[in-house]
Amino acid sequence: MSTSHSISADNLCRWVDSLAGRFQVLGPVAAKRGQNVFAPIDNSAPLALDYCTTMLGPRFFIYPSVQRLCKIDRETNTYMAADPGPARTQLIFAIHPCDMHAISVLDRTFLGPNKDFYYAKRRQETYTVVLNCSRACDQGFCASMGTGPFLRLTEGFDVVMTALDGEYLLEAGSPRGQELIETAPGLQKTGRMRLYEKSRLEQQAAASFTKSLETEGLPELLMRTFEHPVYKEVADARCLGCSNCVLVCPTCFCYKMVDRVDFEAKIVERSRHWDACQDYWFAEVHDGNFRQPQQARLRQFMTHKLCTWVEQYGCFGCIGCGRCMTWCPTGIDITEMAKEIQRAPTRQLELG
Amino acid sequence: MGNGNGSDILEDNPLIPQLARVQKKITESADTISLRLVRADSRPLGYRPGQFNMLGLPGFKEAPFSFSSLEDYTGTFVHTIRAAGNVVSALCRLRQGDHVTFRGPFGTGWPLDKALGRNLILVAGGIGMAPLRPVVDYVRENRDSFRDVFLLYGAKTTDDLLYRRQLAQWNEEITVLLAADRVRGELPLPVQEGVVTKLLPRVHTALSETISFMCGPQVMIKFAAGALLLDGQSAGDIYVSLERRMECGVAQCGHCQIGAKFVCKDGPVFALADITRFQDTLL
Repeated sequence: MSTSHSISADNLCRWVDSLAGRFQVLGPVAAKRGQNVFAPIDNSAPLALDYCTTMLGPRFFIYPSVQRLCKIDRETNTYMAADPGPARTQLIFAIHPCDMHAISVLDRTFLGPNKDFYYAKRRQETYTVVLNCSRACDQGFCASMGTGPFLRLTEGFDVVMTALDGEYLLEAGSPRGQELIETAPGLQKTGRMRLYEKSRLEQQAAASFTKSLETEGLPELLMRTFEHPVYKEVADARCLGCSNCVLVCPTCFCYKMVDRVDFEAKIVERSRHWDACQDYWFAEVHDGNFRQPQQARLRQFMTHKLCTWVEQYGCFGCIGCGRCMTWCPTGIDITEMAKEIQRAPTRQLELG
Repeated sequence: MGNGNGSDILEDNPLIPQLARVQKKITESADTISLRLVRADSRPLGYRPGQFNMLGLPGFKEAPFSFSSLEDYTGTFVHTIRAAGNVVSALCRLRQGDHVTFRGPFGTGWPLDKALGRNLILVAGGIGMAPLRPVVDYVRENRDSFRDVFLLYGAKTTDDLLYRRQLAQWNEEITVLLAADRVRGELPLPVQEGVVTKLLPRVHTALSETISFMCGPQVMIKFAAGALLLDGQSAGDIYVSLERRMECGVAQCGHCQIGAKFVCKDGPVFALADITRFQDTLL
């Protein structure tokens, strides 16, 4: 990382105002019922920089819930590719480190050997400005997952900001991020002392977590405890199969194809829509449904995030944001399920 | 970027289908057809036995189908299709000259190199014969490269057996053993009544020097693989072609996952040893 700068809170606002002229800026703003959401902003006024977390992570702007792929003319058999967008280069402002890590996790699915054109273009045309977290959020356990409270990535983002004594420390993560910083008004070069204070703040923030998960050996443990009774117990008692967990998860990548036919059955628009492994039909084929019981679908969600993802992509599929448990109508907590397996890995289902 | 006809997005994009024309339609049984397809520009696909295409029709989406022909580098390929479900029924209604879309080839295919110089047992149930057909063709073209080769093939009734005209011809080079739950009608080869696993006692060969490929309903795979394991074959030498729901074919849509494997990318052919530790099967 190159030299760091600091900027006053007022100048940060002016910087955002100027960025809004160049980009479609997406930032955290206050919404109804005390919630915060990422929304388009024209200036810095609506920004809620002290936000805790949002319901949906900013994956929405890079991997939208509906992505048009192409249009097909059934009469001439010709194809027209859909423009993946965005209409205007976007800049996501004040992403929390967990959500930035989530985007880098999604990159492994969509920018791997089978590079996805739609995701790649939106990712390229999206600037990311991260805001480090100075305190833990209620349901977050990013410190356990290695994705927070301060950003641990060294690439794949543009700027990282840290709030320090009323001003903001700005550090670049990419050449284009460096250029972005240089457009900020009232920049001041910072010395070694500021970076020392930053690391002290990081230690304080990391110590403020109440929720944690021991990840050492967890994938191996989950791999050999597929039959653990906790899946059936939690599924039978509480899981509604509603898919909320999947829809709010910032790393979930599954989709289904949808063909929409116009009224004259001439033009077919093919798109992909987010799909959820908690959906009853998700793994159904002509021969049958591979995950018919709710416990199998719940196990798929949890073991994918905390176990098989590691074998697939070399990282956890969980970034510790806590959204799945926050938005679960019955409060199912995968860290509690994992802890039960860690506590009693060989427990058998009691026959009653 | 990406405006107008968006040609930069159409090129080399695995999610954009290509066109093929139905060159020939063959009726295989009451509910099953084979389509010989030719790519619009006649370029060869370079596919291997056991790989698959996503076949589709605009408006009906797509479904995965294994190749049931051997690549001959003329840009043609055959898929055998049983009418079941929306897109498949629409494909079965196609006529010669009609167009169909495809994406592929995807997947890894049968490990034929592992079977070279060894015995080979092929176990097929119903439409599961389709992905094994190119293996039979390959073995017949390279018969000296393999030792004892058996095809154990079962279906619901004699009439449901596919490739009926070829079976006797195959039997001249490999041992073809047939089974049907209900035997009716005449075939040049004898058909044993019952399920395909009942044919296994008639296979006399050293299992330690044998590779098995199987494709068919889950229940067939369970009992056929179980019988071979009991007889002493290693789980690393038994390969199965799995059926899973697929929407993309390129390890993105997530539907086909079984444990850490993407069936579309890592399979659809797997060594039994690699998948038995996962639980999400139908049995």
